Amino acid sequence: MPLILLPLLRFVFATLTISFARARKLFTILSHIIDAALLSQLALMLVRGTPEMVSVGGAPAGIGISLIGDQVGLTFAVLAWVLSAAVSAYTWQDKLRPYFFLLLNLLIGSCYALSFTTDLFNAYLLFELSTLASFLLVGYQRQPRQIWASLHYLVLSSLGMSIFLLGIGVVYAHCGCLDLTVLKTIVKASPGESWVLLAGALLVAGIAVKAGVFVFSLWLPAAHARAMPAVSALLSGLVIKMGVVGLFRLGDVFPIDLTLIVLGAITGILGIVYALNSYDIKRLLAFHTLSQIGYILIGFGAATEAGRLGALSYEVAHGLFKALLFLTIGEAAARAGGSDLKTLIENKHKIPRGTRIALIIAVLGIIGLPPLAGFDAKAILEDGLPTMFLHLIVLLMSVGTVVSFAKLAPVLFASSTHRASRSRVLSYAWLGGGIILFWPLSLLLVSPAITLHAYSGLHIIEALVVIAVGGALYFLIRKRRFRLPSEIFRLETSPLIILIGFFLIYALMILGQ
Amino acid sequence: MAAIIAFVLFGIGVVALVLRRDLVIKLLALGLINAASILFLVSIGDRPGARAPIQLPGDLGIVADPLPQALVLSAIVVNFAILALALVFVMILVERYHTTDSIRIEQEMAREADDQETPCL
Repeated sequence: MPLILLPLLRFVFATLTISFARARKLFTILSHIIDAALLSQLALMLVRGTPEMVSVGGAPAGIGISLIGDQVGLTFAVLAWVLSAAVSAYTWQDKLRPYFFLLLNLLIGSCYALSFTTDLFNAYLLFELSTLASFLLVGYQRQPRQIWASLHYLVLSSLGMSIFLLGIGVVYAHCGCLDLTVLKTIVKASPGESWVLLAGALLVAGIAVKAGVFVFSLWLPAAHARAMPAVSALLSGLVIKMGVVGLFRLGDVFPIDLTLIVLGAITGILGIVYALNSYDIKRLLAFHTLSQIGYILIGFGAATEAGRLGALSYEVAHGLFKALLFLTIGEAAARAGGSDLKTLIENKHKIPRGTRIALIIAVLGIIGLPPLAGFDAKAILEDGLPTMFLHLIVLLMSVGTVVSFAKLAPVLFASSTHRASRSRVLSYAWLGGGIILFWPLSLLLVSPAITLHAYSGLHIIEALVVIAVGGALYFLIRKRRFRLPSEIFRLETSPLIILIGFFLIYALMILGQ
Repeated sequence: MAAIIAFVLFGIGVVALVLRRDLVIKLLALGLINAASILFLVSIGDRPGARAPIQLPGDLGIVADPLPQALVLSAIVVNFAILALALVFVMILVERYHTTDSIRIEQEMAREADDQETPCL
């Protein structure tokens, strides 16, 4: 029951918020309390060993649309709930039109449903619903750049979803069903057949457009950098993750481990290279969203228990600190009058103290200072990597992250006279608390043996060395400016790159046999 | 056969999306791409010698698989909604920049400084 109620109630609240706009605060509180109750009921069922499974309409499995409240789905749904609460608190006193809250509820509802669905076509529809809500949210303030970014997002994601639909067609033509649990047995029985490779490549390429994979999600830097802070936080922390949950589900069915590792490495490294060269901080954060997706894909592609759990925890950790980064930088930019580094440094005394402290916590979280969220999740993930080469790539990415966030150091330390509003501080405390208390909270997801192993002295020393090396490297290269091709982000070139990316995935799937 | 046509249409759509600068034509190309994937989905429900899946009393002939057609209905609606929204976005941009040329819009946008940015509507 909770599996169906979670998304549907959000849709009901979406209608209520626009019909009775004055009571929106009451509806916000009510919807979060109800969601919390439903999520804890699901968690309880999962702990007891009988995760809830629903086939909508009572049709037998394989024909009906099924939903499953398993570990992966529940983790993503809880992340959706946490971020929805944070964004609601952040926008508590803002004068936004009721239409914003309608879209917010639609977005969260579709994210809940996406976390749980195991039906490919249902996933297609929910992807479209969640992205429709996000297009409108990106363009909410109707600034030309937002509209342009949103249009770019729309064109690419529509292309991606068409590729996904072709994949659905290939799957249906060969299996006669679209349920992933049934597909799993069929694909296992016919490994390496050409239709499996084609369908897998089409489905992965389609979802990769939504999931923040570098060569596919070229709309992301503009959309995430231009949107309002509350929207960027949700897009970066949550909507991208819905693509990732799709890749996780496909990874259980199709042989895409090698593909995920290669895509993860490309995404991680290119994301950081572009981030190093960005001096608009919101754009820098958007590029880091790409690079952090790299960790998650590498961890999941490693196909080990620890790698998988590490990827799941990193996805939660990234949701927390990236949302906090976008929210705090958003407020700082609004006070300072611009989000480029120079303006922020010149007006750093205008940034309220609460915002600054939250920003420091978020930055320390993302660069992986023990014992904050980034360190913990990354350590679990690294324990699951099978080869030294992957370790090196992850290490390189960690150093790159430190170098690029070192730019922010001058903004972080100053005395300020301004104060942040109470609801915003609450929102920061909610996310910041999650980052600080990540280790005890992660015990809910990961078994104590794995987390304790991650807390070895070796990992702590490694994390500290990475931060030191990154800091030193920043001082060496901070005066250097290098030019990177920005052509690939244009509306004209990015569809072509997506198609090339599809052939790359297809080749990788053949190689991965 | 229908599947081959679908892939050809998909290719034409992508070529137009990449090469044409006019935003409205780009969106038409996107519509073509969507239509191609829908055509592909419909084509897999077909079987040799099959008729429309409407069962008459006493009739046991081969019928086409009805599920892909049902799926396609939702896909068409979704694509329609997205195309409509995209056209609204283009309208907002045209009101501001008086052109549908994507490259010119990008240039105009780059010329405007961030602080002068005002909402379109």
